[in-house]
Amino acid sequence: MKYRYRFHPGDYELGENEKFYGDMEARGWRLVKRGGRLSKFTPAEPSRARYRIEVFAPGFLEQSVLPEEQVAVFADCGWEYVTDRGLLHIFRAPAGSDAPEFYSDPAQQAETLKALRKNTLWGWSPTLLWLVVYLGLDVLMKGSERTLGDLQRRFVQIPPLYFAVGFTILWQLYRHTRDAWIITRTYRRLKNGVPLDHNPRKRHVLHKVVNRTLEGLVVLCLLLTAAQLTATRSTDPEDRTDEPYLLLSDLGWQGKQGVSILGDESSVTHTPSLLADYWDVREFLKTPAGRTVWMYQDVYRLRDAGMARLLAEASMKTATFGDGGKKFRPIAATGLDAAWTNNHLEVVAVKGPYVAYISYIGLGHDSVDPLPVCTALAERWDAFP
Amino acid sequence: MEQGPMTEATYYILLSLLKPGHGYGMMQRIRELSAGRLEMGPGTLYGVLSRMQKEGLIVFAGEEGRRKNYAITEKGRAALLAEYERLKRLVADGKLLEEGEK
Repeated sequence: MKYRYRFHPGDYELGENEKFYGDMEARGWRLVKRGGRLSKFTPAEPSRARYRIEVFAPGFLEQSVLPEEQVAVFADCGWEYVTDRGLLHIFRAPAGSDAPEFYSDPAQQAETLKALRKNTLWGWSPTLLWLVVYLGLDVLMKGSERTLGDLQRRFVQIPPLYFAVGFTILWQLYRHTRDAWIITRTYRRLKNGVPLDHNPRKRHVLHKVVNRTLEGLVVLCLLLTAAQLTATRSTDPEDRTDEPYLLLSDLGWQGKQGVSILGDESSVTHTPSLLADYWDVREFLKTPAGRTVWMYQDVYRLRDAGMARLLAEASMKTATFGDGGKKFRPIAATGLDAAWTNNHLEVVAVKGPYVAYISYIGLGHDSVDPLPVCTALAERWDAFP
Repeated sequence: MEQGPMTEATYYILLSLLKPGHGYGMMQRIRELSAGRLEMGPGTLYGVLSRMQKEGLIVFAGEEGRRKNYAITEKGRAALLAEYERLKRLVADGKLLEEGEK
């Protein structure tokens, strides 16, 4: 069977929804089902049917199902039950029917809107609570500096996801604020004895533009995120051609590729983000003496060199042994714009659009001299324009 | 029993339930009792019924298929009589208006 799907007005625009379904039937499309954002229609003889919405608020942990008796009385009055979504229950009266309006007393209808009103005023709170708890726990476990550094570093690694989250928050905030305003206004009008307008003329063009734009931006950012994830590739570090990361062999180590004490194999993952090319490198080398040398690297080639210092600071804040960046001190490294280290275990370096975080430990050492690492990086980065 | 004025909907529902009945039957009975003046919508009826049940003015009195029957309680009957007496007093007091017009 042929169906048609259309975006319907928001849950809180009762009159607009009633008019929308009536207009669709007048054009030959009868309502079958109402979804979260879309309604489903089936072809029908065009007619001037009436649609009305009954809001039903169930008790705590109860489903929003209209009492059978209520449906039976509505049916006796000429109202056919069509479908429901959330607290909304939609009825239809065929063209020419003398089915009475649901409410002869608008104040009585106002009472049914109390649950919807509560929804709009508190509906956003679970999302906000989740965000606060998530960030709160993160700050509690890692400290505020490290949490901030993580956010900055990941923003460079996968910016469209951050924009998607940002636009989603903005979109939901806009929708909840508008919904709260609409339902409060409708509630007050009904309470004051003004009947619901079942045939509103306003087209809400500005709202439609703002709402669809924000929704479109969220979808666009999610698509960009998916595209970035699809373009991410993992290879063997030794397949390096013109990538700006180091190999242990650049630091004079010889041996065979090995595995970490956790069983991880050497790998490099390249992510082309909107803000940078990013390489996540982990290399494990087994020396002829049978010992393992390892090196972890986050290397970035930024599209805007102006962000390099900020990213370097974020890398220091999130370093494993950096204590939120406090343990890093600058070192004089020839051929680099700047470099920092902490107890010789971790190094952060900057040159032009390049930024690297390196954690490296050599044979039988608790720490290593950071200067050869800096020199090798400067030489590697010098090879590129 | 001391009580405030009753709403028109409550008054007519109690009147219609002097003989037990279901929702749709009540709506028809109310139309008859008010000589067509009061057309109570099904939504209004259910809202008021739910409140009246909580207040103990009416009670569930069995089912007929999908329909539930309701009946007036002693408390409901007393409230209806009290309201009727109150309305009679109001009308009696208002007779002054008719005398003034003569």
